[in-house]
Amino acid sequence: MDIIRVGFVGNPNCGKTTLFNAYTGANLKVANWPGVTVEKVEGETSYKGQKLKLIDLPGIYSLTSYSIEEKVSRRCIMENEVDVIINVADASALERNLYLTLQLLELGKPVILALNMMDIVEERGMEIDLHRLPELLGDIPVVPVSARKRSGLDVLLHAVVHHYEEKHRPEIITYQKEIEEKIRLLEQELEQQYHISENSRWYALKLLEQDQEITELYPLDLPKALDRSYEKDIINQKYDYIEEALEDTLFYKSEKAAFTDRVDEILTHPIWGMPIFFGIMAVVFFLTFFVGDGLKGGFEVVLETISSGVLHMLERMHVAEWMISLVVDGILAGVGGILTFLPNIFILFLALAVLEDSGYMARVAYVMDGLMGHLGLSGKAFLPMVLGFGCTVPAIMAARTLEKESDRRRTILITPFMSCSARLPIYVLFADMFFEKYAMFAALSMYFIGMAVAIIAALLIHRVETHRSHHTLLIELPEYKTPNARTIAIYVWEKVKGYLTKAGTTIFIASIIIWFLLNFGVHGMVTEVSESFGAVLGQWMEPILAPAGLGMWQIGVALISGISAKEVVVSSFCVLFGVSNVNSAAGMTALTGQLAEVGFGPLNAYCMMLFCLLYVPCAATIGTIKKETGSMKFTLKMLAFQMVLAWLVSVLVYQAGSMFL
Amino acid sequence: MTILDGAINHAYTVTDISMEENIMRRLESLGINSGARLLMMNRKRNGTVIIKVRGTRWAIGRDIAVGILVCPVEEEMSDGHN
Repeated sequence: MDIIRVGFVGNPNCGKTTLFNAYTGANLKVANWPGVTVEKVEGETSYKGQKLKLIDLPGIYSLTSYSIEEKVSRRCIMENEVDVIINVADASALERNLYLTLQLLELGKPVILALNMMDIVEERGMEIDLHRLPELLGDIPVVPVSARKRSGLDVLLHAVVHHYEEKHRPEIITYQKEIEEKIRLLEQELEQQYHISENSRWYALKLLEQDQEITELYPLDLPKALDRSYEKDIINQKYDYIEEALEDTLFYKSEKAAFTDRVDEILTHPIWGMPIFFGIMAVVFFLTFFVGDGLKGGFEVVLETISSGVLHMLERMHVAEWMISLVVDGILAGVGGILTFLPNIFILFLALAVLEDSGYMARVAYVMDGLMGHLGLSGKAFLPMVLGFGCTVPAIMAARTLEKESDRRRTILITPFMSCSARLPIYVLFADMFFEKYAMFAALSMYFIGMAVAIIAALLIHRVETHRSHHTLLIELPEYKTPNARTIAIYVWEKVKGYLTKAGTTIFIASIIIWFLLNFGVHGMVTEVSESFGAVLGQWMEPILAPAGLGMWQIGVALISGISAKEVVVSSFCVLFGVSNVNSAAGMTALTGQLAEVGFGPLNAYCMMLFCLLYVPCAATIGTIKKETGSMKFTLKMLAFQMVLAWLVSVLVYQAGSMFL
Repeated sequence: MTILDGAINHAYTVTDISMEENIMRRLESLGINSGARLLMMNRKRNGTVIIKVRGTRWAIGRDIAVGILVCPVEEEMSDGHN
């Protein structure tokens, strides 16, 4: 075969992605599954000359059609997008992991079971009979691996290359007589009516479970067989089978108190749990702001050198004036201004990755469940909010894990109030310019105000909506583990790459557009900025923004351009005020001076930060909200709400502030 | 009794699950089904509990926890001897 397509399937937290990364490294192709915002990750590798295409399917607990992830995985396997499945199982929680294995086996595709985390199994004094286990699973290859220690990797690929065509017995489990009779009846009927002969047992089982998708695809009028849902019976008999199988194959040599339980006694402590969480977040922000800012200085020096170098070079080459202006004032000012924030962004994502990979993030849902309950949300809704500090787009996608549609929408509504990393450059810029030694506090206050607004908004909606509070938290608390350097490196690299790509595309183009708007007017290229398109556009917004202390046409332009990506507010500012390196001391003094001339002081700057915190999110987020909620009406209502809120809050603060200051 | 009445660090056996069909099926496919043994690990004041079932820890909110009916493991064993 030219190329073997291998699908990685497994429970969440089973180490599937770590294993996948062990093969592919950072050479990933990340896209979305057609029609949904579930990530599709693909990579390539080879084993002894045989090319392999690896597809990382979403982490799932079962193959029902209750969640989008499950549907995506099922469809991918059924529609022959993969030749063979590597079922990654957490060997230290085999009982639950084998449930998915049994379902995969019923699908009929070749399956290879990768027993991950064998090192933990040994640490805990457990032993798995690797000869007996395959016998109980239809003689599929079972390969012990450790994704963290990178052991067993070659053996697993060897198994793939040698067994990818091997079909196993579809009947691993014999269900009770009543169900088996119904399965036979349904199999006959499926063959007659729909000519399904392959995997017919799986379809029959799904019909008995009254699976929505399969029932709609292959409706059968057989009331005798399909008298009720047999899902409960089928689930219970699968678990009975697993229990029996494990009695034969899993041995406890000595029961050791799990490390995780000891750590959880502290981290999920009824009293200390929450202070510890806030302490951890404080450390994260300290690292992001203080340490990140130190590193930023180095980046600024480099940028300044490049910027002046390019200017000299272009001048020596006698390049046209407008071209020099475009490159230096447009592109370098815009894109370069953004790149200097890379250290802050890097540290923030690194911290989030460590929290996630160590297994702590799930505990946050438990710890915050009480507080979130007062807002009518489950603790799980807090996870998208924490992720929102990184980037709002994946945060909104993460809201999908909430069980109830109304909870999802409320979470999606408040998540953009969590300051994403793209808004960080805005805060740092204005805080550094106007608040000097209190700059970090001014920037940090945005995070707290954002959280407060999110909480108040959630509370108000909760009060207005009449139904009572729901405590429907359901989340796995995985084992704590040392974060895997490779997993984290790949995660952070993906984010940094995304940031750099954005700087090279969205921000690059936005910078050129802004430069064009400022240098061209109805009469062609203009020398006076006030005659440019940008000024005309901005002037139209001036009266609206004036009560918030933002009545400058440049701010109007910067805010509009910020919808393409929030960092663009900063790059636009650089371009608008013709400051090539806004982060350098000289650049900053120049900009502060220009702003002071028009009466723009600390209060105005603070209102600007507030407005940027609260007003409409970036285009990518808006697109994601539309896709995730499937409702244009909801999306538009949300945008209007944010716009009005941003205006009201900044006006209120400016007016009140003007009275006292 | 439901797991809400359970004591921390005690083991129980699930006797029945009774709640909304969707959530019930989800729980069952996670291995929290009749006959499963669970260990009560932790509980918050608002009724959220942490349980360990089939080697996995789950945090479960009050509204779901209240639908998981259990009996203590010792009791079940003494029943068996009768």
